[in-house]
Amino acid sequence: MARKNKPEVKEISYAKWGYLFIAPFFIAFVVFQLVPLAQTVYYSFFEYYRSGLTVIGPTPVGLDNYKELFNSDFLKYFGNTVILWLAGFIPQIVVSLLLAAWFTDVRLKIKGKQFFKVVIYMPNLIMASAFAMLFFALFSNNGPVNATLVSLGILDHPFRFLSSVAGTRGLVALMNFLMWFGNTTILLMAAVMGISPSLFEAAELDGCSPRQTFFRVTLPMIRPILVYVLITSMIGGLQMFDVPQILTNGKGSPDRTVTTLIMYLNNHLFSKNYGMAGAVSVVLFVICAILCLLVYFNLNPTENDRKIKKRDRFKPRKEALNG
Amino acid sequence: MDKKPSHARTVIAYIVLIILTFLCLFFFYILLINCTRSHAQIQHGFSALPGSSFAKNFNNVIHDAKLPVLSGIKNSLIVSTFCAILATYFSALTAYGLYAYNFKLKKPAFIFIMLILVMPTQVSAMGFINVITKMGMLNTLYPLILPSIAAPAVFYFMYSYMQSSLPLELVEAARVDGSNEFMTFNRVVLPIMKPALAVQAIFAFVQNWNNYFLPALILQDNSKRTLPILIAMLRSADFLKFDMGKVYMLITLAIVPIIIVYIALSKYIVAGVALGGVKE
Amino acid sequence: MAGITFKNVVKTYDNGVTVVPDLNLEIKDKEFVVLVGPSGCGKSTTLRMIAGLESITSGELYIGDKLMNAVAPKNRNIAMVFQNYALYPHLTVYKNMTFALELAKVPKDEMNRRVQWAAEILGLEPYLDRKPKALSGGQRQRVALGRAMVREPEVFLLDEPLSNLDAKLRTEMRSQITKLHKKLGTTFVYVTHDQTEAMTMGDRICVMKDGVIQQFDTPQNLYDHPCNLFVAGFIGSPQMNFIDAQVKKADGGYALCFGDVEIVVNKPELAAYEGKTVVCGIRPEDFHAEQQFFGSGNVMNAYIDLDEMMGSESYLYLEYAGQKLIARVPARYAKKAEENIELAADVEKIHLFDKETELAI
Repeated sequence: MARKNKPEVKEISYAKWGYLFIAPFFIAFVVFQLVPLAQTVYYSFFEYYRSGLTVIGPTPVGLDNYKELFNSDFLKYFGNTVILWLAGFIPQIVVSLLLAAWFTDVRLKIKGKQFFKVVIYMPNLIMASAFAMLFFALFSNNGPVNATLVSLGILDHPFRFLSSVAGTRGLVALMNFLMWFGNTTILLMAAVMGISPSLFEAAELDGCSPRQTFFRVTLPMIRPILVYVLITSMIGGLQMFDVPQILTNGKGSPDRTVTTLIMYLNNHLFSKNYGMAGAVSVVLFVICAILCLLVYFNLNPTENDRKIKKRDRFKPRKEALNG
Repeated sequence: MDKKPSHARTVIAYIVLIILTFLCLFFFYILLINCTRSHAQIQHGFSALPGSSFAKNFNNVIHDAKLPVLSGIKNSLIVSTFCAILATYFSALTAYGLYAYNFKLKKPAFIFIMLILVMPTQVSAMGFINVITKMGMLNTLYPLILPSIAAPAVFYFMYSYMQSSLPLELVEAARVDGSNEFMTFNRVVLPIMKPALAVQAIFAFVQNWNNYFLPALILQDNSKRTLPILIAMLRSADFLKFDMGKVYMLITLAIVPIIIVYIALSKYIVAGVALGGVKE
Repeated sequence: MAGITFKNVVKTYDNGVTVVPDLNLEIKDKEFVVLVGPSGCGKSTTLRMIAGLESITSGELYIGDKLMNAVAPKNRNIAMVFQNYALYPHLTVYKNMTFALELAKVPKDEMNRRVQWAAEILGLEPYLDRKPKALSGGQRQRVALGRAMVREPEVFLLDEPLSNLDAKLRTEMRSQITKLHKKLGTTFVYVTHDQTEAMTMGDRICVMKDGVIQQFDTPQNLYDHPCNLFVAGFIGSPQMNFIDAQVKKADGGYALCFGDVEIVVNKPELAAYEGKTVVCGIRPEDFHAEQQFFGSGNVMNAYIDLDEMMGSESYLYLEYAGQKLIARVPARYAKKAEENIELAADVEKIHLFDKETELAI
């Protein structure tokens, strides 16, 4: 063909711009996340801590840190974290589903939707540490809440919220609930409103009661978002730190029953026990990595969908413009 | 048949909503009341009406020798502002790179970012401190700002927004019009992305304004500290000796600016939250 | 000064799909050429290769006498009008039009002059300060044209520019663009899937299918002498009828037989097809109900399945000898559906195609 007797001609390529534009992101990621992560994993196999002013190590100790980790109170803290998360998450998802169903129900005609949305989302933007400090002040033994309860005659004497396991855990759960239920409600509402209205009309014509519509149409349709909310909330739960840390001044009192995994990690980091901190981090990382994978498969199309997308790629322009 | 149950459900819905609204607002109400009252008044009991010690409390907080509140606000502002700028600009740039160009590593790069989308930064905190120390950035604000360049969640938002609002035809039109690629991004793409940039800038700002875990590990000098650390310091001080008016005032200073911005922009923020989790 | 030449151009996408296998095409300076074909035929890709938005896998592309393969779009001295207009939503009409000029550092006076000139021709003067959102579809279309005009390019590329407009506006813009071409006297390359647009606008039309040029000729020639079945079927509306006919030797030539019909044509080329089947193409308007066209054997008594009254004429959907046909006859001759009608084909205007190669005989 023509190619044989004519010199190969250069073509225009924009690929280099693609690389250039994504470079800062990846450089920053490598420097501030990937290298640190590698170091974290690396040092988790070393005895490496500071005792007074002397630095011990780093000496390789194999899996000793992990053995020590599982012999320590790690599992208790894991349990604490799960309990605190569940105690906040269960009411959160129930209330959010309820609100999302109500807000999107045309029959209910709730007025002031925008106002309620603004109000319930607000706690999410509040500085968690300040929020915890506020709760600490409000629920302290002679704080306003106790004073009010006593003066109303509900309690004989002040309830020591922060000395009771249920009281402290309850406060952490309440704060987590307040901070996150608005966010979840808005996400679920958006998902419900994404369902074609004709589907609800069809359900109504088929004789579905509002409850049946909710369980048989709405819930199955918003399942992907529910999964997303569940997993991201799990990851958030694992990261739980600010609220219990400030509320209990880092002690996890009473008797370390509200010490979370990150508080435990923080203690090791503060006392500069890098080996143990590394081991805690690695366990956390493995759990998070599994959850990340779940998010990925939840957000990305299955094999079947992908095939359809591939076919469409022959005409990329038309696709992109329809939006 | 359906009139009555609907009516009852409406009443129940309103009752629940009012309870939730009360829960959300009540604590802030006490906060605002108490920051206007003196320590003695607060100890005396709860009041529904504001006191007259706002200015006094404010002055006490600002001029506390042990608690550098003013520099705390300044540091928090610096970190949050730069984080907001870096996170939105570079996320948009990255999203554009993956959206508008075809190259060999395009798909792996995208999959990689999607995989780390919700990975918490805490898991690498130990190594992070190590790396920061070696780079001589311990006890400076840089390690709180620079990592914002790689913000996967912001990237994902920008990418989704481009898919719905940035036709590639526009990029091609700019190309034919003689614009180079970088100029196209700055002069054509960024203006179109304005709504997305604004929403994400607010989120990034708030997130960093509220951030406690990493700054507490990295900032050691009193003069470098950000607001959340000051609150933690307040918590660990001997509480019985503390002026409660000051405590409430500091909390107010940490929370109220965000609430004001939120109320002013609530329409966009709530819409932005709704977009955040939804695909496409 | 700016003809466009494709020499053995191949376009293969990264995923290995070849959309243009071997393109040779010569567009003359100042010509209005329409690339037409069904979707996926490679016409848009061809246009985008001229623009430089799509790279060329192999072969050569010349604009004027300059090799363009490796030249960036901005240096090709072309302007393009996109299907969805691609107006910058954040800029006013004026700024949209001057965007390219600013980048090219054209002096302010000159910029103003050109915008005024384009706005005047297109009737855009009242809208210069508006943003695209505040314009109607037709106005946006004209802004897109204006943005191309102010560049004073050597070549105008238009990619289905009218497909988003409603039918009435489309007809109006069609004539506007034709006039614009006459006025500007530059080369226009226009892509469409609509054969009416192609026929009414192009000096020459390039019919494409699967990345291969089927025929490149003037509208009249395409219509009168389609070189294969595809072109014959693509050009003309309603579509040409294709009838399988048996070739038999007859007095004064060869007879084309289908049903009871035996039409004798004087075409010596048919010698090779004696006893075989050929495809006989008859345009709907070449069926006649008038007696003077009836000849011996050239009358068919067809059943009317459906009739569409168009005003001055009528489309009859016929069934004859197991084949579906369309005839376009003056309304006064038309009969109603479920009746029979006698029709004859205009012998002079019958097109014949090889059944195997699909080429015209």
